[in-house]
Amino acid sequence: MPVTVNIPTILRPLTDNQKRVEITGFNVLEVIEQMEQQYPGVREKLIAEGKAHRFINLYVNDDDIRFREGLLTSLKDGDLLTILPAVAGGC
Amino acid sequence: MLIRPASMEGNRNMNHPDRALSGCAITGLKSPAPDFAAMASSLFYQSAALGMEVGSIESCPDNAVFSFEFETPLTMPVACRVTRWHDASKQASVTENTMQAACGLMSVHGRAGGKSRPLDLRYVSTLTAALALQGGAAASIGQLRGLSVSSSNVSMASAALLSVGQYIAGATASESPERLSPGCVPSRACPPFTSLDGVVFELETLDAGPWKKFWSELGVSAAAAGKGWTAFLMRYAKAMSPLPDELVDAISHFTYHHIAQVCASTGMAICPVRSLQERAGDDDSRHIWSQGPWEFVFEGNPSGRPLSRITSDLPLSGIIVVESCRRIQGPLAGHLLALLGAEVIRIEPPGGDPLRGMPPMAEGCSARFDALNRLKTIREIDIKSPYGQTEIKELAQGADVFLHNWAPGKALLLNLDEEALTAINPSLIYAYAAGWATDRPALCPSNSMPGTDFMAQAYSGVAGKIAEASGTHCGSLFTILDVLGGVVSAQGITVALLNRCMNNVAGRVTSSLMSAATLLCADDFDGLYNLSRISPPPQSMIDAIYATRQGKIAVECRDRKMVTRLVETLEATLGAGVGMEEEGFSHLRDLFLSRTADEWVQILGEADVPAAVVIEDLADLHGIELLQPGLSPGSYTKVNSPWSFK
Repeated sequence: MPVTVNIPTILRPLTDNQKRVEITGFNVLEVIEQMEQQYPGVREKLIAEGKAHRFINLYVNDDDIRFREGLLTSLKDGDLLTILPAVAGGC
Repeated sequence: MLIRPASMEGNRNMNHPDRALSGCAITGLKSPAPDFAAMASSLFYQSAALGMEVGSIESCPDNAVFSFEFETPLTMPVACRVTRWHDASKQASVTENTMQAACGLMSVHGRAGGKSRPLDLRYVSTLTAALALQGGAAASIGQLRGLSVSSSNVSMASAALLSVGQYIAGATASESPERLSPGCVPSRACPPFTSLDGVVFELETLDAGPWKKFWSELGVSAAAAGKGWTAFLMRYAKAMSPLPDELVDAISHFTYHHIAQVCASTGMAICPVRSLQERAGDDDSRHIWSQGPWEFVFEGNPSGRPLSRITSDLPLSGIIVVESCRRIQGPLAGHLLALLGAEVIRIEPPGGDPLRGMPPMAEGCSARFDALNRLKTIREIDIKSPYGQTEIKELAQGADVFLHNWAPGKALLLNLDEEALTAINPSLIYAYAAGWATDRPALCPSNSMPGTDFMAQAYSGVAGKIAEASGTHCGSLFTILDVLGGVVSAQGITVALLNRCMNNVAGRVTSSLMSAATLLCADDFDGLYNLSRISPPPQSMIDAIYATRQGKIAVECRDRKMVTRLVETLEATLGAGVGMEEEGFSHLRDLFLSRTADEWVQILGEADVPAAVVIEDLADLHGIELLQPGLSPGSYTKVNSPWSFK
């Protein structure tokens, strides 16, 4: 199930400076695991203890995966997975 | 003419010999009033709160600048000058609101408010006063450290640009700059929320989990709640929050009481938008107003270690600040100290602060993040680990200042509280840039509420004041209090350093979003407490934004003389009679349509009527001649230091 992953600037040193990569996986977690195989170090930037980091937002197309099935959110051909740092709160 | 500042009448009650700058004074005040009246009012309040003697003010209408001397018992007087624009020779008359228009504040505030509009607060004036006072204190520190510095200059324009520095960075970033115009989202779609029984309130959570549960309880689909979360997160960075209609509609079907119950069960925080009157009735309110926006606790410094060695022409050069702060308020405080020359060591988590990757980007770093942190040295430390805490203690041992903005109680949990750090470095200034004014969770106004900008706006009465003045239901999604809180924190640290230099004392300085809110509304609290120490500038007769043939202008006429000049100028320009108050001023709207905003600003400027083009696109700011000295183009437009010293 090939999907396109939008890589934020801060992770591009890990992806040979590629802005987008094509990865295969049936859900978000599989895509991240697959990315880890190709680009070691990505996984720990995105998840810990089976959960996405609080300060990272993962979107499938326009949907925040926290409001779907989290890392088990399923993917279909041509979906776009976007990784964005999050900011919640001031002070 | 000599005028005793009204704010100082009965000042004996406000004069506290035990305050941070007791024995110091601001003297020789000269004001080309009324352009600086609101700034002067805040300057007097802040100076008195620091325990300074405040001299009489001389009205000098022909002067181009507001000036005063910052005196301490141990230094030569520092000549402090406040100009309208960076270039003191530019005499274009200004007011609070025309400065907000010219520097983009109205634009940022208007993103969620439907259109460009003033904040209806003396915001630029308050910031300018704080920076002017801080400049005097910093220059005095410079003298005590052997630097030859005799004057400090700031401008109202530099203060205004500083306040929107992050938004300018976002609008001018080299990679996908933000194009956000006033009214780009419907104001109804943005927080605060309104319940079925008409209560206006803010919601807050720093995690998606409570948000998801809360909206589920109100019958909102997960998909809509998810889109709402994305919008909700935008508030701090973009000053807007386009929530899906489904959320706004759903919440309007429930009473405030019910919504508060759902919040309690789901972990969301809720705070009604209160009035200043309500805030004035809180137990701690009058104390904070009387104390000023900083709480200082000084103790003798037996080790008597001098400040670090000076390394450049800037007054705080060589001073070492260790900063462990996230987001806006604390990092801005560190940034200001760095602009004064301090060496700021910023602690970030292993891998770096995630906000470094927050779009829009410029040369590999978030432009918005870089705007607040570009001058700092970074140390990546896991503050939760014993090893990391040891590293921080080692840094603090060699530092002059330790600054954090952790949640209440966290410093103690980390064993990095004041007691722990001053035990290893008795000369340390321990600074806390808080949300709710205290590091003791039990004493927070509501220990269940995160101390964030919009919650503090709601609780403090600031949002209520904006809503009342603007005829809307909301405050601002511009981070008013984070920015002012950052300035107040840096100012408090500078004052504490001066006190350390003069009196060989060290200790703690705490400031907060709440204390910044109190500072911002100091005149109002004075009135609410019936003290009449401060006489706020009178309301302007005309204070409006007009559409023109191209662009908008903000025009403010404080008094009848100005109105007369405006009317005469319009008549001379248009060759027709222009009525006055009998029919109000609404008919002026049609008259301004005959020229462009730039043309009107020039025409009105020549007549000494305060007017400014309302900047709607922040990317336009660096093309404006009056503002160019305050900005540096590059991979994004950077706001320069508000201070210059000689």
